[in-house]
Amino acid sequence: MSGSVRARRPPSPPGKLAPSGPRFPHPRHDHLDADQRREAASKGLRPGRKAHVTGGLNLAPAEWRLLVVILFVACAVRLFRISQPNSVVFDEVHFGKFASRYIKSSYFVDVHPPLAKLLITLAGWISGYDGNFDFKDIAKVYENVPYVSMRMVPALMGIATVPLAYLTLRALDCRVTTALLASLFLTFENGMVTQSRHILLDSPLIFFTALTTFAWTAFCNEDHYEPFTESWWIWLSMTGLSLGAVVSCKWVGLFTIATVGLGTLKQLWLLLGDLRVTPQLWIRHFVARAICLIVIPVIFYMSMFSIHFLILSNSGDGDGFMSSEFQHTLRGRGMADTFADVAVGSEITIRHVNTQGGYLHSHPHSYPGGSKQQQITLYPHRDSNNDWRIVNATSEGDPYTAWMDQDISYITHGTRVKLRHIQTDKSLHSHDIRPPVSDVDFQNEVSGYGIPGYAGDANDDWIVEIYKGDKRDKESSKRLRTLRTHFRLKHPMTGCYLFSHKVKLPDWAYEQQEVTCNKQAVLENSLWYVETSFHPKFPADAPKVNYKLPGFFAKFWELQKVMWTTNAGLTDRHTYDSRPDAWPRLRRGINFWVKDHRQIYLLGNPLVWWLSTASVLAYAAVRGFLILRAKRGYRDFDSTKVVKYDTLCGFLFVGWAMHYLPFYLMSRQLFLHHYLPALYFAILLSCSVFDLVTSTLRPRIRLQIAAVLLVIAIWNFSYFSPLAYGLPWTKAKCQKARWLKTWDFSCNDFLDDVS
Amino acid sequence: MSGGGPSRMRNRKPHSEVSRDVSPEIDEDEHNDDVQNPNNRSHVEKVLETDQANAGMIALLTTLAFALRFYKINHPDQVVFDEVHFGKFASYYILRQYYFDVHPPLAKLLFGLAGWFVGYDGSFGFENIGDSYTEAHVPYVGMRALPAILGSLTVPIVYAIMKECGFSTIVATFSAIIVLFDNAHIAQDRLILLDATLIFFMTLTMYCYIRFKKLRYRDFSFDWWMWLLSCGTFMAFTWASKVNGVLTVVAIGIAVIIDLWDILDIKKGHSLDYFWRHFIARAIAFIVLPIFLYLTIFWVHLSILTNSGPGDTFMSPAFQETLKGNELLLNSQEIRYYDTITIRHKDTRVFLHSHPDRYPLKYDDGRISSQGQQVTGYGHEDTNNYWQVIPTKALPETGRGRVVANEDVIQLLHVNTQTLLLTHDVASPLMPTNEEFTTWPKGDLSRYNDTLFQLRLVDGFEGEPWKSKSGHFRLIHVPTKVAMWTHPKQLPDWAYKQQEINGNKNINDKTAVWFVDAIVDDETGEEVTERTRDVPAKEPKSLNFFKKFFELQILMLQHNAGLTASHPYASGPINWPFLISGISFWTQSDGQKQIYFIGNLIGWWSCVIGISLYTGIMLADLVARRRDIEPLTEPVRHRLLNSTGFFLLFWAVHYFPFFLMSRQLFIHHYLPSHVASALVAGSVLSFALSESVNYPVSVWGPRLRSPKPKTYADLGVRGPVIVGMFALAMFILFVYIAPLTYGTPGLDGHSVNARRLLSSWTLHFAAKPTDGL
Repeated sequence: MSGSVRARRPPSPPGKLAPSGPRFPHPRHDHLDADQRREAASKGLRPGRKAHVTGGLNLAPAEWRLLVVILFVACAVRLFRISQPNSVVFDEVHFGKFASRYIKSSYFVDVHPPLAKLLITLAGWISGYDGNFDFKDIAKVYENVPYVSMRMVPALMGIATVPLAYLTLRALDCRVTTALLASLFLTFENGMVTQSRHILLDSPLIFFTALTTFAWTAFCNEDHYEPFTESWWIWLSMTGLSLGAVVSCKWVGLFTIATVGLGTLKQLWLLLGDLRVTPQLWIRHFVARAICLIVIPVIFYMSMFSIHFLILSNSGDGDGFMSSEFQHTLRGRGMADTFADVAVGSEITIRHVNTQGGYLHSHPHSYPGGSKQQQITLYPHRDSNNDWRIVNATSEGDPYTAWMDQDISYITHGTRVKLRHIQTDKSLHSHDIRPPVSDVDFQNEVSGYGIPGYAGDANDDWIVEIYKGDKRDKESSKRLRTLRTHFRLKHPMTGCYLFSHKVKLPDWAYEQQEVTCNKQAVLENSLWYVETSFHPKFPADAPKVNYKLPGFFAKFWELQKVMWTTNAGLTDRHTYDSRPDAWPRLRRGINFWVKDHRQIYLLGNPLVWWLSTASVLAYAAVRGFLILRAKRGYRDFDSTKVVKYDTLCGFLFVGWAMHYLPFYLMSRQLFLHHYLPALYFAILLSCSVFDLVTSTLRPRIRLQIAAVLLVIAIWNFSYFSPLAYGLPWTKAKCQKARWLKTWDFSCNDFLDDVS
Repeated sequence: MSGGGPSRMRNRKPHSEVSRDVSPEIDEDEHNDDVQNPNNRSHVEKVLETDQANAGMIALLTTLAFALRFYKINHPDQVVFDEVHFGKFASYYILRQYYFDVHPPLAKLLFGLAGWFVGYDGSFGFENIGDSYTEAHVPYVGMRALPAILGSLTVPIVYAIMKECGFSTIVATFSAIIVLFDNAHIAQDRLILLDATLIFFMTLTMYCYIRFKKLRYRDFSFDWWMWLLSCGTFMAFTWASKVNGVLTVVAIGIAVIIDLWDILDIKKGHSLDYFWRHFIARAIAFIVLPIFLYLTIFWVHLSILTNSGPGDTFMSPAFQETLKGNELLLNSQEIRYYDTITIRHKDTRVFLHSHPDRYPLKYDDGRISSQGQQVTGYGHEDTNNYWQVIPTKALPETGRGRVVANEDVIQLLHVNTQTLLLTHDVASPLMPTNEEFTTWPKGDLSRYNDTLFQLRLVDGFEGEPWKSKSGHFRLIHVPTKVAMWTHPKQLPDWAYKQQEINGNKNINDKTAVWFVDAIVDDETGEEVTERTRDVPAKEPKSLNFFKKFFELQILMLQHNAGLTASHPYASGPINWPFLISGISFWTQSDGQKQIYFIGNLIGWWSCVIGISLYTGIMLADLVARRRDIEPLTEPVRHRLLNSTGFFLLFWAVHYFPFFLMSRQLFIHHYLPSHVASALVAGSVLSFALSESVNYPVSVWGPRLRSPKPKTYADLGVRGPVIVGMFALAMFILFVYIAPLTYGTPGLDGHSVNARRLLSSWTLHFAAKPTDGL
């Protein structure tokens, strides 16, 4: 039946099912018709000649000379007085500090992956930085820090971005004038200049984004020409490597991956529709891309972390973020082996599983409210106040001493126990009194109660419920074993579970973590394990255990999770934070540094910035209009010129959108400098629009228009350059420069007169 | 307008001889050889497709739905779960007291109406879950009957949607059964909750849209207009029932855009003029009409609630003054210079306070303070909250000139210590970015400028008098342009844990708003209340409806986003389709009874399977077509793409936005999506059972030049058998979980354990492994 239906099916409407081939067939010479051959010839693609646009690197010698000049200008603009200011600027507070940590190899946790920080550290280390400066506050003067060489890393990467922009546009088949305009726009972009002159991660990020874009463009050129050649593979793996580098600088690099991913999907989709491509060939295309664009970046990213772990081998201020197993791998955090078994009468320390609050702890201070009995908290450090003796509550006589005369008996599921705080001789106790901070119905206070010699009451009793043991230690699921058994402690009188969560107690408990007994306890937060165990009756050769050292993958994965939660937790407002909608308008900048009547304020070049935003909007509007026209039967997309500029601008537009729109979904603290990668694409887009608009003009006139734009851009740059370089300025000039009321650099800090 | 009487069309409905696509290739012969003869279908199919079978099925489904939803509807005779809120709101309508809620009023108005109809007097408080209705003589059954009726009617509507889309009777029954025997729907329908209303109107919207779409070859006919307008109406009702209803608007909006985009296509051969006519018709039905209805419902809401009530304090002073018996209306008074007043922060409700203690010289983090007198926010009445308004200009002896006006520059004198409020460029104790507030002796003029503050009334006009209670204002420091501000963080012990007050550089911060709580004293010492003695009792002011409407809308959105507090039974959207966890609605230790909101596992998981299969089929088809292989016949593809695609659109639009919301989410937010997924599951079943569909289903019209070959669905005997077995399985599982749904009978620990089908369900009264110890 289906056969007859198919036969009667009307021929598909022209555009919709367009012969399922790519709109732009491979420019293989044997498939070209006369017109296309002429077109190809104009680009130097004569049939039979192998010279094609190899990734945009085959420039004429004159262009190479031009590039050198551009590079020279970029160096002059970005390295101008790079040693000033000689004090800490903005986030150098963090990234400088991290460099110190690397050099001291003391463990720290940051929300960003390590590549850019490692590069900065390398520069500092080569110049002999000893890691002793604390980078405590903005505007603290540097002492014995080779900060210039550390700043050189972002600065050089910022400089390298400029020729990359040139090459990318050339590879995208734009004119020399256009490429020149883009590279100089980028050079004189105040925001990029400011950002690249300090120890910050954004300049490396933008550099690698630009590198990826360039490599990807080059790869696309190769792919159009002929796949699976040597240079095809080189550019593809180059793309993969630089993708790995982007995402190893900052997680924002994922947006670059998304951009390239979209491009890849489009290529694969077109290949799928090309019926000349056999399924085998398609799979080859697919696997090649998967290896180079997924596997290579992942390996690169992970190897950055393995370097990170190699360097940071000592304990440091990041320990508290990590699990106890992880901490155990750090020097200075090790623990001696401890008895594997826990028996009645053992001296143990108990840790909370789900939070890094630490050990079940008590100290000779009382709750100011509630029962006024002794406090029970979680304390993160080792201390003799963490020691508890676990005894059987059902034994005859005084349970706290009876064990001495009895045989060793282990703690199993359901054992009713009492826990005695050894230092103060109080028992872990709970009763129907609300806890001090989590003052809700279903939580009970936990306190230390009792006096020496008094056997205590039933409220001191707890039932051990073994939740799970370790798979490799069968015994640990049956009885309580050190480190291997996770268990809950149930208070039989009230039915609640010993519980802790990330809530700090006030000053009177030294801001330690709250411990309560919770009737509706979340499972994860009511799990505990024994970290150390000692029993006087155990022979010295009784089995001992220690933490299982996590392997690289376990450490890597744990750190990723910690970075994610820390990142998501950065929701506090910052004085200079902003929301994404403000960025394309350049509504507000960031105050980087104020000292001695000088100021560094991150602000873009208004002309370049607004021009780029305008071109993004213009492209979106024109493209929307063209789609509507196409729907009504106008054949705009038959024109090669429209197709060429649509492909070019479309690619850059997608790049812009992918680097900008996802920020709307983020609720964390955002800053203007998060827009810079998107700005890179927007600037290239504005230059392609320039290329389109001037395409019918004579070269001389085109050059003149470009020159006028450049002069305005450079004037703008110099007008705001005191804010970028931290140069002396006067109040009056500053007031005049405040074009928008929302630009909140404080003019009051400048002197009335420079002299 | 096109020809053809509606009566003729209706008669032809079950097997309308119609087609949908313009295909000039095919000849116009009505009796095309290729037309499948309906009589060739299996006997069962023919019987099931008759009008009698159809009507019988509807009657059966509806009866069952009513029976299951009304069974023991009087149990429990206690307040259950969110009845706390929605029951209360019904009372407020009956008492005509103003209340504030994040949901639009339609569903609550209906509850109010139902309550009024059954003679409820509004006196019950609905204070706590578990409060008894019978003791308070609340006619709660009448109120619960409303959602039960609407919920029962949803079942036949689901059936009708499937029928209208051309699925066979048995497939339509399948989809209806998924909703009919669903414990979650039943639990929700039997209580005073909004979701039944929402889902009822949503399914009606879908139904009307499908009827409208089927008439597309008879556009601008009377029937076409009728279905179009009723679709818009029900869409507005959905939107006005609950905040989530706005998702239905989005779903219909997307469908309409796709539809219009299709009409715009040049290959359809329509003129632009024709396109605009269609555009305007939809704009009227889906934009103008719904907005008008939505506004009308709010207008009714606001005209009923004319008395002061618990919602007053949410609203702006101007709004509050329109309510009868409002405190602002009664006690708001103009403030004159030299009055002693207390100033209160709008959001945190603390008083502006000062006491003789000073800021410590050095804070813990090493920063230095001015060591001035502390200014803090204090939550209780105290004479240290008294401030006197000091003028900075010459005042006339008497008259209006002595009233403090908007934008006046004033000083505030702390009465007990005789010092003036001051702020300066010194970092505040807790926030280095904000300015410290302190006071300065009255006689010392050296810091005179720093004691000047400008009064800016919120939305005030120039010269507007400053009033107590209603005059919300910002206090802007004149020399440094910061706003007096406070935040819930406490100062350390040296300030007795009181709240910090500092100068916020963002003077437009929403939380920098204060009001005068009371005028304590007058300069002359006479009773302040004397001022109003000779003024007659104030009439409620009137305020433009639109102003009130927009204020209420904005507040609703803000509060909806602000519902972020954690709830023990809140769950993330990813868990919903799989029924990972439910909600405990109500428990009664006496008899171990509980209502646990959870769905029918078989039904819900069938829906998940249906959606995944559908996605898989469509993706495979997409790839295959890209390789020029056509695995699906045209009718089947059309059906999967248009009808099922429409259902999937509803499912996706009512589900995915929740992933972006950071507010408290509950599994009952998935119910609208669940209904849509039941429809998807039905179409997938039809696809799995038979290659044939009833096609085409659209109504013939003059726009259609050439009919297409007709095909008829034929599921044979296997259809009824499979669906029958499915129904039986659903029913058995439903009955098994029913004690948790109806809250009766009580269960002992082991039966509870047995009903915990997934380990993540947190049922009460479960037997515990340690119980024996």
